[in-house]
Amino acid sequence: MRSELKTPAKWLGGFLAVILVLVVTSWIVPPESITGQVLDALLDTSYASATLRVAVPIAFAAMGGIFAEKTGIINIGIEGFLILSALSSIVAVVGLTDAGVPPQVALWLGFAVGILVSVGAAAVFGVFVIRYQSNQVIAGLAIWLISLGVAPFVSLVLFESVNSPSVGTLGTWRIPLLAEIPVVGPIFFDASPMVYLMLISAPLCWYVLAYTRLGRYIRASGDNPRALDTAGISVSRTRFKGVLISGVLCGIGGAGFTLGQLGRFVGSGETSIGGRGFLGIVAYLFGNYNPILSTIGALLFASFDALQFRLQQIPALAIPQQFFRVLPFVVVILVLMFVGRTRIPAALGEHYDDDE
Amino acid sequence: MSGLKPRIERLFGVLIRLSTGERMLLSSAAVLVAVGVGMIVILGAGYAATCRSPALSVFGLEFCYNPIETYFVLLQGAFGDSFKLAVTLQWTTLLLFTGLSFAIPYKAGLFNIGAQGQFVLGSLATTIALLWAAEIAPSGMLGRLVLVPVGLLAGGAIGGLYGLLPGYLKHRFEVNEVISTLLLNFIATAIAVVTVDRYFADPELQGTVSRSIPTEAVLSSQLFPSSANFSLLVFAFALLVLGGFYWLLTNSAIGYEIRTMGTQPKAARFGGVSERFTTLFSMTTAGVVAGVGGAVFIMMVLGRWQTGAPPVGFDGIAVSILAGNNPLALLPSGLLFGALQSGGQAIQFQLGIPSEIVGVLRGLIILLVATPELFRLFGTQLERRGLITVDGGRE
Repeated sequence: MRSELKTPAKWLGGFLAVILVLVVTSWIVPPESITGQVLDALLDTSYASATLRVAVPIAFAAMGGIFAEKTGIINIGIEGFLILSALSSIVAVVGLTDAGVPPQVALWLGFAVGILVSVGAAAVFGVFVIRYQSNQVIAGLAIWLISLGVAPFVSLVLFESVNSPSVGTLGTWRIPLLAEIPVVGPIFFDASPMVYLMLISAPLCWYVLAYTRLGRYIRASGDNPRALDTAGISVSRTRFKGVLISGVLCGIGGAGFTLGQLGRFVGSGETSIGGRGFLGIVAYLFGNYNPILSTIGALLFASFDALQFRLQQIPALAIPQQFFRVLPFVVVILVLMFVGRTRIPAALGEHYDDDE
Repeated sequence: MSGLKPRIERLFGVLIRLSTGERMLLSSAAVLVAVGVGMIVILGAGYAATCRSPALSVFGLEFCYNPIETYFVLLQGAFGDSFKLAVTLQWTTLLLFTGLSFAIPYKAGLFNIGAQGQFVLGSLATTIALLWAAEIAPSGMLGRLVLVPVGLLAGGAIGGLYGLLPGYLKHRFEVNEVISTLLLNFIATAIAVVTVDRYFADPELQGTVSRSIPTEAVLSSQLFPSSANFSLLVFAFALLVLGGFYWLLTNSAIGYEIRTMGTQPKAARFGGVSERFTTLFSMTTAGVVAGVGGAVFIMMVLGRWQTGAPPVGFDGIAVSILAGNNPLALLPSGLLFGALQSGGQAIQFQLGIPSEIVGVLRGLIILLVATPELFRLFGTQLERRGLITVDGGRE
C-alpha cells in the first residue's frame, strides 16, 4: 500500500511546479494583458480558499462513494444522500432556532441531524441492496429520484416555498499564529471548519482503508468476498458497515456544504446540490478509489468551478459558464478513455450470500 | 476487465430470470406498495403542514391533506375530461420514446442512463434544422411534407450519434456506460444552452429561448382540444415504433443476438455474435429513439427550444423498468407515469399538495421493481403461514 502514496506525492509535486511556472510567467507578462489578468486571478489566495470551500461536498461525496464501492456496493445514490442531508440540516436549524436555541449551537446540531438523516437513508439503501438484493444501479438511481422529489416536497410543506429561508453559516475558524503565515496562512488556517474536516478526513479515510482491520475487511468484501467469508467474517455485515460509513461521509458533504457555505436549501431544478454528488463519483473514478487522490480530484474540479466566477470578472474573456460546469465531466471521460483502467473492486455490484 | 461481462450477467441475473407473469405481478405489487407508502407520506406531510381547515381529522389529530382524496383528484386530473386525457397522452407519447431508449440497450446488457441528454440534443437538432429549413422550404401542405420529416430525421440523427458515443467508448476504451451516459447528460444540456444562447436566441424574449419553429412543422392536434398539444397521429406513430421494436427484439436475428448478449454473453460470443455490433447498434438505436422523442417534444409540445427540459429521459428509465423492459408493456407503464405527471398538476392546483409527491412515487416504484426479492420473501412468508398457496411456477 505504501506505493499508493507515491501518486499523491507526484500530484503534489506537479501542482507545485505548475504554481511555480504561473508565478514566473506572471512576472514576465504585462499585468494589463488578458494573460496577466488571468494569472492575477489564478494566483490570488482567495481563489485558493474558494477552491477548498467548493471542494468540500465533492470530496466527501467521493470518500462516501469509495467506502460503499470498496465493499462491493455500487452507490449511484450519493447525490440523493447529499440532497437529503442538505435539506434536513436546514429543517433542523430552522426548527431549533425557532425553539430558541442560539444560532451557532443550532447550526452544529443541524449538521449532526443532516448526518443522521443521511445515515438513515443509507441504512434503508443498504437493507434494500444487501438484504433484499435490489439491482444496485437502479436502487441508487431510485434513491436520487426519491430525494429529488422529497426535498422540494418537504420544503414546500414546511416553508411554503421550494427554497428554505437563509440560516447563516458556520463561518470560518482562524487558527492563531498559523494564520499569520503569508500565502499559506489565509488559505489553510483561516477557513471553514468543513475545510479542516475535509483535509483531515482524506488521509484518515486512506489510512482506515489501507491499514486498519475494518479497511482490510472492506477491501476483501469488494475484491474477494468468498475469502472474507471463509475467514469467518460476514460479508453482508461488512458491506452494511461500508454503506453506513458512506452515509456518514455523504451527510457531512451535504450538511457541510449547506451550513458551511450556502446557508440555505434551494429545491428548484436539481436542488442546491446540483450534481455535486455525481461530481464526487467522477472524483473517485479520477482518483482511482484512493481517498487522497480523489480529494485532489475534487479540488481540481472545484478549481474549475471557482475559476468560472473569477474569469467572469474579466470582460475580455467571454467563456460561457456552462463550459466550466461540464469541464470536470469531459475531463473524466477523457481520463477514463486514455489514462488507464480504474481499479474497480472485482466483486462490485454482485450479491453475496454468506454461508451461515 | 475481461470479467466485466459475466459480472453484468450476474448483476442482471435476478431480473432476467423472472417470467412474464412474475414480472407483471411484481410491477403491480410495486405500484400498489408505492401508492401505499405515498399515502403515508401525504398523511405525514399533512400533519406537518399548516392550513386553515384540515381535510381530515382522526382521533383528534388534524391532517391538512386527505390521501384518498389526493389519489382521487390525481386520477381525475389525469383522465377527467378530453383536455386532461390529452395532456396525459402527450406525456405518455414522450415517455414511450425515452422508455424504449432504456429498454433496447438493457436487452443487450447495457444501461443507458443518457436518454435525457439524447433527448435534449435531439430536440436542439430538430429546432436548428427546422429554423434553417424554414428559409428554403415552400409554405403550405408541401412545406409540411418536407419539414416534418426533416425535423424528425434531425432529432433522430443527432440523438443517435449521441448514443453511439458512449457505445463506442464502451467498446473501444471499456468506459463504463453507466458513468459515461450519466455525464453526457450534463454535457448535452450545456451544449444546448450555449448554442441556443449564442446563435438561435429569440431577441424578444428573456432567458435561453430559441426562435419559434415554422408553423408548417408543428404537429397539430386531432380530435383533442388544440391547446393540449397532443397529436393522435404522433401517438399512433409511437405505438408503431413500439410494435416494431417488439418484433425486432423477439422475432428477428438481430434481436436474438442482442438478447443472447444480454443474458448469456459467453454463449453469445462463442456462438459468433459480435459484441461490437450489439453494443454499437443498441446504443445508437437508443439514441435515435430518444432523439426522435426530443423532436416530437419540439414539434408537438413546445414549438421552440428552451431551458428546463422536463426530465422525461430519467422518467423513461422508470417507465422501462416498471415495464420489465418489454416494449409492449411500455404502453401501460407509460400511461401510468403520464397520468402521474398530468395528475400531479391537479393535486397541486386543487389541493395545494406539492406535485413533487409524484417524483417520490416514481422513485419508490423504481426502487421496489428493482427489488423482486422483497416480494418473493414476502410471498414465501405468506405461504408458510398458509395464507396463500403457490401452485407450481416456482423456480
